[in-house]
Amino acid sequence: MSEEHKKYLKKLKRKRIIVRALQIFALILFFGLWELFARLEVIDPFLTSSPSRVVKSIANLYESGILFKHLGATLLETVISFLLSTVIGTAIAIILWWNETARRVAEPYIVVLNALPKIALGPLIIIWAGAGKTAIIVMALLISVIITIISMLAGFMSVDKGKLQLLKSMRATKFQTLYKLVLPANIPTLISVLKINVGLSWVGTIMGEYLVSREGIGYLLVYGSQIFRLDLVMASTIMLCVLATAMYLAVAVAEKIIKKYF
Amino acid sequence: MSALLEVRKLSYIYHSPDAETQAISEVSFGIEREEFVAIVGPSGCGKTTILSLIAGILEPSSGEILLDGKPVKEAAGLTAFMPQRDQLFEWRNILRNVLLGPEIRRQKTPENVKFARSLLKKYGLSDFEKKRPSELSGGMRQRAALIRTLVTSPELLLLDEPFSALDFQTRLTVCDDVYRIIREEKKTVVFVTHDIAEAISMADRVIVLTERPARIKNIYTIDLDKSLSPLRRRELGFADYFKRIWSDLEVKNVGRT
Repeated sequence: MSEEHKKYLKKLKRKRIIVRALQIFALILFFGLWELFARLEVIDPFLTSSPSRVVKSIANLYESGILFKHLGATLLETVISFLLSTVIGTAIAIILWWNETARRVAEPYIVVLNALPKIALGPLIIIWAGAGKTAIIVMALLISVIITIISMLAGFMSVDKGKLQLLKSMRATKFQTLYKLVLPANIPTLISVLKINVGLSWVGTIMGEYLVSREGIGYLLVYGSQIFRLDLVMASTIMLCVLATAMYLAVAVAEKIIKKYF
Repeated sequence: MSALLEVRKLSYIYHSPDAETQAISEVSFGIEREEFVAIVGPSGCGKTTILSLIAGILEPSSGEILLDGKPVKEAAGLTAFMPQRDQLFEWRNILRNVLLGPEIRRQKTPENVKFARSLLKKYGLSDFEKKRPSELSGGMRQRAALIRTLVTSPELLLLDEPFSALDFQTRLTVCDDVYRIIREEKKTVVFVTHDIAEAISMADRVIVLTERPARIKNIYTIDLDKSLSPLRRRELGFADYFKRIWSDLEVKNVGRT
C-alpha cells in the first residue's frame, strides 16, 4: 500500500469519526439544553417536560407494570399491519400484473384510493371492525397497502423487455416468467416498499390508536395530553422514536441478508 | 437435405391504436446447416422483428417459417435466442444462468448440468461458475450468454445485435471469441447487426434489407476463408463487400432526404 493511499484511508477514517462524534454531540447538546433550560425555568417544564422527567415517567410506567403492555400492543399492531400490507399488496400486484384487463379496470380505483386520506375512513372502520385492535390494524393496513400495490406493480411492469423476450424464446409459461424473472427481479422494489411501509405502518397504528384504543403508545399520547401530563406525552414520543428506529433497522438487516442472495 | 431454416413470404404488421405499420413485407430466404448468416439493414427496418419471428417470440401476419421442415411452434427446441445485451440474471450465479433454458423446459437433469459445466469449462468459465454476472468482464458475460444458448443443444442460434453493448475493442475480441465457439460447436447462426464490417467479417452470407417495410435488397455470399478469425478477415479483401453493401444502404438514405 502506498503512503498516499494510507494517508487517504486515514483521512477517510478521521472524517467518519468526526461525523459520528458530532452526531452524538448534537444529541447530548439537545438533551442537555432541554434539561438545563427546564431546570432554570427558561422554558416551562409543565409544558415542555424535561429529560429527567421523561425518564421518571418511563420508570413509573415500568413500575406499575403497564409499560410493556402498551409498547407490546403498539408493536404487535404495527408488525401485523406491516406484514399484512406487504403480503396483500404484493399479491394484488401479482394479480394485476397477470391480467391486463383486471389491471386496466382497477387503475382508476387505485388512483382514487391512493388520493383518498385514509383517516377519513376511520369512523367507518370502527363501525365495521369494532372499536378494537382489528380496527387499528385495518387502518394501518389501508394506509400502506395501496402504495404497496402501486410500487410493486410499477416494478413488475418495468422488467427488462430483453429478459422477457429471452424467456419467451425459451417458451416459458406465464407462471415461470413470474417466479423465475418478475419476482426475483423485483426484490429491490420489495425492499424499498418494506422501508416505506415501516414508516406508514407506524402512522397507521398511532392514528388508529388515537381513534379507538384503550392501550398502546397512541393511547398514552392522547391520554397524556388530555390530563395535561406532558411528561407522559414526551416519554411516549421518545419510546416511539426508539421502536420505529428499531423496526427500520430490522428491515435494514433483512435487506442485507436478502441482498446476499439477490 | 433440405434447408435448416426456410422463410417463405414472411410478412409482419405491427398494430397500435393509432396505426398499423408494415414492418416486414414478403421476405423469403433459406439457410443451410452450419451456415453463418448476417442480416443488415437501416436502423428500425425490422431486422430484429425477423429474428423474433424465427425465435417464436412473435407470430407472423402471413407467410411461414419452417425449421427443419416443421413450423416454428413445433420446433421450439431447435432454436436458441440471444437477446441484445447479455441479459444475464444478476440474482443467479453463472452456472444457474446458463441452466435457465433447461430449467424452463423442465429438463434440468444431471446430464444437462454436466453438459453445461463442461461447456463452461471448455470455454474458460469454470472458475466463474459460482460468480455473479456483475463480477465478470463484458467479454466473459457475453461468452456466458452464448453458452446459455448452447446448453439446450439447439441447431440454430439467433443472435440479436450480440455485441452492441460492448466498446469497440472488446467488441472485436468478443466477436472473434463467439465466432470461434460457434464454428467449433458447428452451429447454424442467424445474426442481426447494423455494423456492416461485423457482418462481413463473420458471415458466410449477408442479407441486406431495405427500409421499412423490410424487403430483401440483396444477398451477398462472402467468399472469405472460413477458418480465419473475423479479425483476420477484416484485413483481407473486405473493402469491396463493404462498399457494395454500404451503397445498398446509402441509396435509400439519399432517397429519403
